[in-house]
Amino acid sequence: MDFSLSEERKMLQETVARFFENSYKDIKKRSENLDMNDGFSREFWKESSNLGVISGLISPIFGGLGGSGEDISIIFELIGKSLCIEPFLSSGLLSSTILSSIKNPKTELINQIIDGELLVSFAHMEMNNRYDDHFVESKAFFENENWKINGSKSFVINGDSADKVIISARIEGKINDKNGIGLFLVDNNQINNRSYNTIDGYRSAELNFDNINAELLCKDDLALECIIKANSTGALALSAEAVGIMQVCFDLTLEYLKTRKQFGKSIGSFQSIQHRMVDMMLEIEQVRSAVMLASSTFETNSSTRDKNISAAKNLVGRVGKLIAEESIQLHGGIAMTWEYSVAHYAKRLIMIDHLMGDADYHRDRFKLLSSN
Amino acid sequence: MNFEYSKKEEKFRIEVRNWLKETLPKYLSEKVRKYQRLTKEDYELFMNNLSKKGWIAWHWPEEYGGTGWNAIEKHIFEEEIVKASAPRIVPFGVNMLGPVLIEFGSEEQKNYYLPRILNNEDWWAQGYSEPGAGSDLASLKTTAINKGDHYLVNGQKTWTTLGHHADKIFCLVKTDLNVKPQLGISFLLIDMYSPGVEVKPIITLDGEHEVNEVWFTDVKVPKKNLVGKENEGWTYAKYLLTFERTGIAGVPNSKSALNHLKMVSRKSMKNGKPLIEDPMFSSEVAELEIDLLAMEIFNLRTVSAATEGKAPGMESSLLKIKGTLVRQKTTELLRKALGPQALPYLPEQFDEGWNEMPIGPEYAGPIAKQYFNMRKISIYGGSNEIQKNIVAKASFGL
Repeated sequence: MDFSLSEERKMLQETVARFFENSYKDIKKRSENLDMNDGFSREFWKESSNLGVISGLISPIFGGLGGSGEDISIIFELIGKSLCIEPFLSSGLLSSTILSSIKNPKTELINQIIDGELLVSFAHMEMNNRYDDHFVESKAFFENENWKINGSKSFVINGDSADKVIISARIEGKINDKNGIGLFLVDNNQINNRSYNTIDGYRSAELNFDNINAELLCKDDLALECIIKANSTGALALSAEAVGIMQVCFDLTLEYLKTRKQFGKSIGSFQSIQHRMVDMMLEIEQVRSAVMLASSTFETNSSTRDKNISAAKNLVGRVGKLIAEESIQLHGGIAMTWEYSVAHYAKRLIMIDHLMGDADYHRDRFKLLSSN
Repeated sequence: MNFEYSKKEEKFRIEVRNWLKETLPKYLSEKVRKYQRLTKEDYELFMNNLSKKGWIAWHWPEEYGGTGWNAIEKHIFEEEIVKASAPRIVPFGVNMLGPVLIEFGSEEQKNYYLPRILNNEDWWAQGYSEPGAGSDLASLKTTAINKGDHYLVNGQKTWTTLGHHADKIFCLVKTDLNVKPQLGISFLLIDMYSPGVEVKPIITLDGEHEVNEVWFTDVKVPKKNLVGKENEGWTYAKYLLTFERTGIAGVPNSKSALNHLKMVSRKSMKNGKPLIEDPMFSSEVAELEIDLLAMEIFNLRTVSAATEGKAPGMESSLLKIKGTLVRQKTTELLRKALGPQALPYLPEQFDEGWNEMPIGPEYAGPIAKQYFNMRKISIYGGSNEIQKNIVAKASFGL
């Protein structure tokens, strides 16, 4: 049994941490980035690529330098700490996961992603499919030697700035059939998109497409497998991101308890507040433990992988709510302001529960995978 | 990072498991499984077996008769004991007093008491709590007046677990009343057969006799029974309380309780279907299982840090809090799982040899009783509120 990181991973952690600390100094910097045209900084994205942060998410088989559960967790925990909004999840992780899991992996495209030159978004969610892996209403059909798709996709992270989009669409069967789904690669310039910011600062888009040309990446069992793998990988990354956010929320709150004085003393001297801080600390250690377990089994068979990821993501949902709400409550009024950083951390932490399956979804999936 | 047990550790687990299979009598594990009352002889039988094997003092340094196991091996050992449904190892002599004597006892005390602990010759009890000194332990009132060659002890201890079996008791007593409470406490070893010692049972809310009051009236205690220095007992007491305990989270107990819960909720019916198929109930079970899974890793992280010589500080307190909450939650869900079957209370069911028809399924009998009994775990060993004070003080810098 070994709970420590290897030397290589420690180095990765230190390098990425230093980079984020320098480039993402404070919440103002984040605001500047999200006010840019694409909702993030192209310059920062390119620097991330030069430093090997994107390749840290991708296996050496496809030209990356990492891609293990631990690599993903290390990087995303640091993303959480800095509250960075660049397309690490959409392009760096979800799309590259699918492009590398198909029968003929798109290594060239993956390399362009690694180089920071290509952005690919993964568009699976629809307005009413909640978190389901196989609930797909968008349609695909084969016509004149070409695949075409029509329908709409929702909440597509970086769906406006992506060069290409991976879209799930139904080739045959009923709306919730497990079989009959295809994954398609399309050029984004064929798609109408309506872009907007999410409440936690990300750029997202609603996509509409009507009989546009698409390249089939995979279908049926493999397509479903890819969607599940992408969603699981995303859930692991978001869980690790949440650990980083929780730690910052805790540290900021503790710091504030020392400086804020009421009734002639620092509010941190009150026992009722100290006990709540202990509860937070304890639950953060629980989440950290669950994420460590999920990262360590990421490369095993899919049912162990998904079961442990679901355990982590469920706990993240439950504990995230506790940490976000308590951080705001213990800060008091100041946490209600846009200017102070804790609110932005709290918002991201809460919204993480609305991505890649919430606490209820992952609890139910955990149940299902435990009973097998 | 790698959370698998090594080959060597797995081999060790098999060794412990096989040994338990060979030496633990069926009737005894059956009693433990059914929550039947254990006699003094039941505890002693298991502990004598451990003594013979050389495993009784698994926390001690090797030169005093300990096993030399690292924290992971200790953890495996504790896990296997629970899995085998063995009686618990009565901790007062071997886990509590032993380490204090090794650290602070005189050569004479070590030479006399340690071998006796290793051979289970004395049944020790713990004399800490008093009616007026629970969480505020230093406010204890039992006095030991220096009378030259002996102390004269007067006062009352309470919550003395299995004190009715005890031959000896280690006590915190006041030897100086004129200083700050913490500075006037001494650590005294008292023979339970001394004139003036009286044990009175306390019957707990589940109807059981496990804890006692111990009264001291003009009890003469020889000077040589003082551990360490007079008035420095608080240091020793704290040492005992923070003594490395890998098992503080009770992970093995909660794991076996969770399995039991799943079994019961497969047999309990709701609307003609097994309760485990009820989405609300199974969700509660699943989230409990997730909490336990996370805690197991948290515990192993702490255990593993201990093998590298890092003393668990606040982690022990955090694990104590979470461990008790998880364990209590399993007893709560077990109780809920039974529905009205939780109502019947047949105290005689827990006597050895009882073989009448139970009311409802056999497993139902102890569940409500066990639920009430388990309320104690967030109170004893430093209540969860005290643990929170400890963590806040140690790591927040507030």
